[in-house]
Amino acid sequence: MNYLFLVTLFPLIGAVLLAIFRRMPVNLAATIGVGSIGLSALTTLALALQFFGNDQTAFVQHLWTWISVEAFEVGFDYRLDGLSLTLLGVITGVGFLIHLFASWYMREDLKDQVDYLYTRFFCYMNLFVFSMLVLVLGNNLLLMFLGWEGVGLCSYLLIGYYYRGEANAWAAFKAFIITRVGDVFLAIGMFLIWIQFGTLDIQTVIAQAPEVMAEGTLLTEVTALMLLGGAVGKSAQLPLQTWLADAMAGPTPVSALIHAATMVTAGVYLIARTHVVFELAPFTDELVGVLGLLTLLIAGFSALAQTDIKRVLAYSTMSQIGYMFLALGVHAYGAAIFHLMIHAFFKALLFLASGSVIISCHHEQNIFKMGGLRKKIPLAYACFVVGGAALSALPIVTSGFYSKDEILWLSFANGHTVLWLGGLAGAFLTSIYTFRMIFIVFHGKPASHASEHAHAPQGIAHHLPLLVLIVLSTFVGAFITPPLSNVLPETEVTASHALQISLEVLSSVVAIVGLGIAAALFLGRRRFVKGLVESDEGAKLWQFFNSAFAFDAIYDRLFVKPYLAIARLHRYDWIDKLAGIFPGLVKLGNSAMSASQNGQLRSYAATFVLGALVIVAALLVS
Amino acid sequence: MNLTLTHLFALLPLIIVGITVVVVMLSVACRRNHFLNATLSGCGLILALLSVFWVQCSDHGSQLPTLVSPMVAVDSYSLFYIGLILVAALACIVFAYAYFDRLKVHREEFYLLLLCSTLGAMVLVSAVHMASLFIGLELMSVPLYGMAAYIFKRQQSLEAGIKYLVLSAVASSFLLFGMALLFAAYGELGFAELGLKLVSVDYLDTWTIIGVGMMVIGLAFKLSVAPFHMWTSDVYEGAPAPVSAFLATVSKVAVFAVLVRFFILAPTFSVKLHTVIAVLAVLSMLTGNLLALRSHNIKRLLGYSSIAHLGYLLTAVVVLRSGVSDGAGELSESGQLVLEATGVYLVGYVLTSLGTFGVVALATHADSANRDTSELRGLAQRRPVLAVCMAFMLLSLAGIPLTAGFIGKFYVLALTVNGELWWLAASVIVGSAIGLYYYLRTIVELFLPTDDATVTAANGRGQALGALVVVIAAALTLWIGIFPEPIITMVNSALPVGL
Amino acid sequence: MIAQYWAVTVFVLATLALLAFMVGAASVLGGRSWGHEKNIPFESGILGAGSAHVRFSAKFYLVAMLFVIFDIEALYMFAWAVSVREVGWTGLIGAAIFIFILLAGLVFDARMGALDWVPKKSEHIADQARHESF
Repeated sequence: MNYLFLVTLFPLIGAVLLAIFRRMPVNLAATIGVGSIGLSALTTLALALQFFGNDQTAFVQHLWTWISVEAFEVGFDYRLDGLSLTLLGVITGVGFLIHLFASWYMREDLKDQVDYLYTRFFCYMNLFVFSMLVLVLGNNLLLMFLGWEGVGLCSYLLIGYYYRGEANAWAAFKAFIITRVGDVFLAIGMFLIWIQFGTLDIQTVIAQAPEVMAEGTLLTEVTALMLLGGAVGKSAQLPLQTWLADAMAGPTPVSALIHAATMVTAGVYLIARTHVVFELAPFTDELVGVLGLLTLLIAGFSALAQTDIKRVLAYSTMSQIGYMFLALGVHAYGAAIFHLMIHAFFKALLFLASGSVIISCHHEQNIFKMGGLRKKIPLAYACFVVGGAALSALPIVTSGFYSKDEILWLSFANGHTVLWLGGLAGAFLTSIYTFRMIFIVFHGKPASHASEHAHAPQGIAHHLPLLVLIVLSTFVGAFITPPLSNVLPETEVTASHALQISLEVLSSVVAIVGLGIAAALFLGRRRFVKGLVESDEGAKLWQFFNSAFAFDAIYDRLFVKPYLAIARLHRYDWIDKLAGIFPGLVKLGNSAMSASQNGQLRSYAATFVLGALVIVAALLVS
Repeated sequence: MNLTLTHLFALLPLIIVGITVVVVMLSVACRRNHFLNATLSGCGLILALLSVFWVQCSDHGSQLPTLVSPMVAVDSYSLFYIGLILVAALACIVFAYAYFDRLKVHREEFYLLLLCSTLGAMVLVSAVHMASLFIGLELMSVPLYGMAAYIFKRQQSLEAGIKYLVLSAVASSFLLFGMALLFAAYGELGFAELGLKLVSVDYLDTWTIIGVGMMVIGLAFKLSVAPFHMWTSDVYEGAPAPVSAFLATVSKVAVFAVLVRFFILAPTFSVKLHTVIAVLAVLSMLTGNLLALRSHNIKRLLGYSSIAHLGYLLTAVVVLRSGVSDGAGELSESGQLVLEATGVYLVGYVLTSLGTFGVVALATHADSANRDTSELRGLAQRRPVLAVCMAFMLLSLAGIPLTAGFIGKFYVLALTVNGELWWLAASVIVGSAIGLYYYLRTIVELFLPTDDATVTAANGRGQALGALVVVIAAALTLWIGIFPEPIITMVNSALPVGL
Repeated sequence: MIAQYWAVTVFVLATLALLAFMVGAASVLGGRSWGHEKNIPFESGILGAGSAHVRFSAKFYLVAMLFVIFDIEALYMFAWAVSVREVGWTGLIGAAIFIFILLAGLVFDARMGALDWVPKKSEHIADQARHESF
């Protein structure tokens, strides 16, 4: 397995090549950009085969010593175990499909926006994959943090890919700054771990945690809380969730790869990796589940009132990651990672399909201006139906059913009844907003010129990823079982099998009822919904949901405005003034001296003699 | 005493330069050919440089140090500085060739003047006697007036020459008066003899101190130490760039070397005198840096910067107050450090000054009146090699690590700390801080884009050779900055006679 | 310290006082007459003729300077002349070198045209003028 490093090397080489030869032909850029991820995916496949043939033993590759300052030693080590292999598969596999799709999408997209460089997109994308792989493979918290920051950077760069639009730049800023808040928490968490353990090696920390950290003490709680802070920032969970919806300003494949399938799930990975620390901190442990639940509900309600197809998907992503956090909170780590993987499949499918719809409708993103697309772009419709079904966890045939119901079942079985009930409500909402979107977009009559003249996309690079992801989103995807038994603890369930079946039936019923309600409300002429929205209270509620519970406004009042006020207050900083004294003095001296350089010989001679006189006088006076 | 072959052999570098003067003069009389005469001059200097090595290394080397006469001593100290002067003069000849090649004046006499001045500088660093000091100084200075005013059709150049002439005469009178006072007090003119008398008396009377003080004033003018610095920028600006290079290197090195030799051989343990010198040093550092701050003329800026650098260097003389020999004819530790610092600093200073003035000489028009830094703007586009060298040289002048300038400044700081001269150390640091501003500003200027299409790159062997010299200077600066050991060893072996 | 030199000080002060007395007393005591003739510059009873700003040819100064230079350098020969027997061959060689350098300088000056009373260019014009007049 010594070729483990190759997985990260290929995307890095791709990124470097694309960064250097910026003006290469589009076909070559696509080949390099997609090919590097393809090679990486093949390497992952080989690794996986060897891993399973090798009895699933973890493998550590020491590449070089990165930092070595006295006792502080950080190796550039990769670790391959069940958890990292699962994510490796998702990142390279789904990543490859998304890259392939992107090679088609960006070509179509840049037909209208000719000023943007094709190579720049793939350069950032490859760099992102590299960073994400380092994040997942890093055997050291600091190395993981390198990847963590790398993906943050790439996310920023790609959200702001269309940098000529001001809103896009602000969206990029917003994503970068808010995730940075989380990153600071994570950094503090790392410092605390270093203080307690004297190492940042993840495996050592996991092994020594029970001895080093006392359960439930303040220090332990704070450490776990800081790690959680990092996780919620990256994964767009309450209270750092506001950036994700705006991040949709980036190209759609970016939303699929970074803001749905991989980066935003890094928080889930982090908590799963360091679950030992969380188990020693009961309060924070509880908080993980509660935050997940709150986020999934808030995001669910918000998704109900969105008009932008990508924003609907963004809130659904938030909500699905809420499920993963909920799973983490009830110690169903395996279920969380399983849902992470399944979610990557169907959410990537949905995003790519939405990209396909957007291109078909000539860059129209408002769902109320689409409508009746079912017959014009049947493939996208199929994608949406299968992906939406998986998202709503319709029973038996979809993959989402298996992963989400496992979470709900385990939360119930572990005694978190409130979380279970909330999750059930979330499932209900999910199914409503998902089919609301599908019905509005694909059924009814064309609502605008753009949707009337929609054209079906062509090409293998467009079809293949969608078809593969459709297959993976059905029950077929659920056959892939992540090899987590050696890494994460199995959840012990004491409740009976019959109870599980009845609960699964219950949640299936909930999902189907949701589907029915969506059909009742949004198929046909939507008279009820219109009436509701047009009433006073209804409009307010709609506004409230549309703005995602007005978090942006609250944060603006609470943080942005006071911060700007303080900044304005410090514009005329007295310390700055104090520091300005020396240059001022120097300038004064310069002016005084320059005046003496008048170019007149007589004044030079006079100065000379005067100086000599002073010196002689000084020597004379004893 | 009799002049033997040994003595003549020791004087070989001086003799060769003297012969070169006559040969070039006759050659100019026969045939006016710029290339031929410049080459002849250069060959003479190269021969002299080779003879320096020969004298240093030959069997006769065991007879070093040689007092050729009571006036001139050829010892390892003078040979080291003669070598440095010859290298600088050679570089100046190369720059002058490139500079004057485009000019339609009588160009050949310039080399005569330059050679004479070089000869004077060589005499100066070998001087161990007031008379040879004066002869050397004047032989060096008088041709310089002519050189400064060489492009007399340009008013600035003429003005520079006359300013330098008048003020230099004033300074010489102070120097002579100081010598006269010392002679009146002790009846001796040789440094060493004077030193013996000075050491033997318990109490230095006021006239002695004033005499030494006046000599310091006279020499301080040549070193452009504040408050005798006023001429510097005007002359540097007005004179042709190769002359400025010569002024900044050869004349400074020679005068400083003889100043240090005088203070070593004839030590005056007067706290008062050394306090005055320290004040001069501080004044120079501050004045030079302050004046350079907003100067937008590259030659003026370099002139001001040389004021500051001589200020830094003058700390070496201040430190000499604690005495250089322990009485048994051995150099004391601080005296050793002073010689080391002086040598290393001067080598670095000469290399960087040659580089910077060389770039100015190569990259600017000889006949254009304004020599703003804006003329160097965009140099990186036109002459990337020169621009990079220039940037590196400016970094060296600013004392950034990995350059010879840093090693020199480090030595100066070590001197001040060793001598517990805290306020000198403080002003060195303040001066460097101010200096950084305008050096970096000039570097920025080099790399700014320019839309001035009129400035075209000049071609020709002179330009190519000049660029080669600049590159070599930059390479040496870097080499010394990274690996100063050989230069330090060389400097350490260069001890003045009588120790 | 100044006290040591009180005698010098008294001497200087006395001189100044005496001068002041002589000038002052003369101006107070003597009679004076005014007139046009009184204001004419006056040298040994001969009246000045013409302006003081007479323009000499620059060549005059050049030749004068060259004369002074060679004259002063020739003075060094006296030092050799008085000790010609004592310094022997070494002295002769030294003097010969010295004279050779002087000679070289002279050759140089001559070649540069420093010794020509009329510059080459003007001479040419003068020649032409002479030819035309014939």
